[in-house]
Amino acid sequence: MTIILTRRAALSCAVALAAFPALAQDAWPTEPVHVFVGFPAGSSPDTLARIITEPLAQRLGQPVVVENKPGAGGVIGVQQMLASAGNGHTFGTTINGPLTTAQRLMDDTGYDVGADIAPVTLIATSPLVLAVSADSDIGDLQGFVDAAGAEPEALTYGSVGQGSGAHLTAELFADEAGVSMLHIPFTSYAEVTTSIMGGEIDAGFMAPSAAMPHVEAGNMQMLGITSAEPFPQAPDVPVMAGQAGLPDDFRAELWNAFIAPADTDPAVIERLNTELNEILADPEVQEKLLAIGWKAAPGTPADLEERIATDTEMWGAVIDRVQDSQ
Amino acid sequence: MTTWEGLLYGIGFAMQPGVLIYCILGVVLGTFVGVLPGIGAMAAISLLLPVTYYITAEAALIMLAGVYYGAQYGGAVASILMRLPGTPQSAVTALDGYPMVREGRAGVALFAAMASSFAGSVIGIMVLVMLAEWLSRAATAFGAADYAAMMILGLVAASTIGTDQFAKGFAMVTLGLLLGCVGTDVNSGVQRFTFGQTEFLDGINLVALAMGLFGVAEVIANVRDPDRQGVVERIGLRRLLPGRDDLRRMGWPTLRGGALGSFFGALPGTGSTLSSFLSYAMERRVARDPSRFGKGAVEGVAGPESANNAAAITAFVPTLTLGIPGDPIMALMLGALVIHGIQPGPLMLEARPEMFWGLVASFGIGNLLLLILNLPLIGIWVAMLRIPFRWLYPAILVFVCLGVYSVRGLTFDIIAVAGIGLVGYLLALAAFSPALLLLGFVLGPLIETNLRRALLISRGDPMVFLERPIAAGFVVATAALLLLSLWQAWRRRTA
Repeated sequence: MTIILTRRAALSCAVALAAFPALAQDAWPTEPVHVFVGFPAGSSPDTLARIITEPLAQRLGQPVVVENKPGAGGVIGVQQMLASAGNGHTFGTTINGPLTTAQRLMDDTGYDVGADIAPVTLIATSPLVLAVSADSDIGDLQGFVDAAGAEPEALTYGSVGQGSGAHLTAELFADEAGVSMLHIPFTSYAEVTTSIMGGEIDAGFMAPSAAMPHVEAGNMQMLGITSAEPFPQAPDVPVMAGQAGLPDDFRAELWNAFIAPADTDPAVIERLNTELNEILADPEVQEKLLAIGWKAAPGTPADLEERIATDTEMWGAVIDRVQDSQ
Repeated sequence: MTTWEGLLYGIGFAMQPGVLIYCILGVVLGTFVGVLPGIGAMAAISLLLPVTYYITAEAALIMLAGVYYGAQYGGAVASILMRLPGTPQSAVTALDGYPMVREGRAGVALFAAMASSFAGSVIGIMVLVMLAEWLSRAATAFGAADYAAMMILGLVAASTIGTDQFAKGFAMVTLGLLLGCVGTDVNSGVQRFTFGQTEFLDGINLVALAMGLFGVAEVIANVRDPDRQGVVERIGLRRLLPGRDDLRRMGWPTLRGGALGSFFGALPGTGSTLSSFLSYAMERRVARDPSRFGKGAVEGVAGPESANNAAAITAFVPTLTLGIPGDPIMALMLGALVIHGIQPGPLMLEARPEMFWGLVASFGIGNLLLLILNLPLIGIWVAMLRIPFRWLYPAILVFVCLGVYSVRGLTFDIIAVAGIGLVGYLLALAAFSPALLLLGFVLGPLIETNLRRALLISRGDPMVFLERPIAAGFVVATAALLLLSLWQAWRRRTA
């Protein structure tokens, strides 16, 4: 405990020194910082937000309050952040959906990502795994693509909803592999898991942390993972890229980002970006994130802006195809 | 570990001072958040979540679970005394509990609720201990077609409760089904009846609907007619305790409710709500004089209360044995375990037997504590009825707003609860039963989603409802129930 305290003290000294030039502009933060999360307490995006806001509060010397505003796949969290913006102490963390696909899937999100939101940094990414029942005849990715290609919609797969990351990733996979699958939308990975284990559906694109316990118990198997490298929590699962007819650059990841309202002082954004990058470089934080299925992936605000742009385009193309086929 | 070894070990574990204290804390807190109108276990557990970082995973789970089932006891108090149910389950309790209060039998109603809650929990615990493995297999065996068929049976069986007039009941169920359509359709992703409001995308807030239809509507009714309250001027101690007749009437409904709740609770989804309504419907059907229901029949309190408490216990079956949470509160509790670095899943039981058996033992200890805590409180709750209503209702409205806001932190929902309250008052004036509206609202979207999912999976073949044995069983039972009702109606007409 003493060691941790000393290290924290040392860190905060370093931070104080690094932040010295910024003191000129009114020594932000002057009041508690609010971080809006579009998911309920105890959910994976909420736990992630709490893991990074705890050290952030220490570094800023002000409490950081996590505000859970769940609903509409995270869009309500972003809306509420923008609604309470204006005092320079309001921020948000969000999954990719509200920044990349929500504008296409919803009638009106009430905000314009480019004009209303200032990117701070990417926090972490999470791949998805293709999971099938342990009883399934299919044993590897090639076998899955063969079975799925036998006839149109030969296999069914579950996702956590129309337009969810799991749904769009599966459609991207099917398109690249040259097959078509029947989509069965559910509302949670718990339902998808039950349905796979009960033999009702053939497969699911799932978060590794949702699938892992059932793989370890011998009820499910994972055929492939959508990230470019093997995922540390599931190192044995083969990377999909380059396999079973998929292109070498096949990659589909969900992510979580720290954002601010567009009118936030650029110096504050820079300060936050520096703090968060240092927090995410801490092995202890990285380990906590991995335990809930997220791999730390900090960067600059420009990196996040680029990621939003490329993903909006990539998923937009998938949404076009899905909507055309319906 | 055999069952007996496990239980003994669990009792030893749960009785440790460092664990017991969190069990006590959980059930006491659960009782009080349950009593406060609209503030339920969900809000309390969300608030407690950061506290659990500082205690062991087992103690955290035991405490949060205590809040969960403790709130079931407390929830009955608010819905019986003031007709302020925060959940559809406790709305069922209000159907006969509140009329009993108006008759001056508040003490008896509360006693019946507490005693049957305890009995239901004990039944749930026994089922959990003896049949956990079987129930967890049942939970995975249920597919979309089975859920759809089961819920249709529930809807048909319960669709006449709370009203004598078939047409009015039918109208309320239908209105509930229609309101349930609001929001994003799971199967197609289409946004229905949202009027461009993001707040409607996940549907109408259930707590706002329940608090509006019951609580706010009741406040309006009382304000408009100050003489409505005042039935309970003086209550002697004798009236606090049930008579021999009441006790006799409570026995079988409690047992039947406990059995129903134990089974339905273990199915992920809406087991608790369904079992409360089904228990009420069953008691009304087997009663010698069904017309007593809705006017203060003690069976209508005992059965559903036993059912929802049994369900609150067996709801832990899929959560603990499979790591699959059946409702958002269970998901929240698993979230607390994840924070402690425990990955919920099928292997959790083997890896941490102390968690399972400690929790099971804490259920027993916690429910005993709840009974000891709540029986003396009955006198205090009843005494509260002597406070003139005009002093109570501002506080009630404040708690309703707090409770509704606590669900997702949107002021939109507070405006919604006011509007729904007005509608609820108009419905009450015309003698429509809001409980049936809630039933339709809760079951409607689940029936629709599962029905369409089943047909999607079967690629459009409706035979799936007869080919799957579980679904077929429910379809046959529904048909039999409909035929029985028709036959009874025909016999009454010819007699």
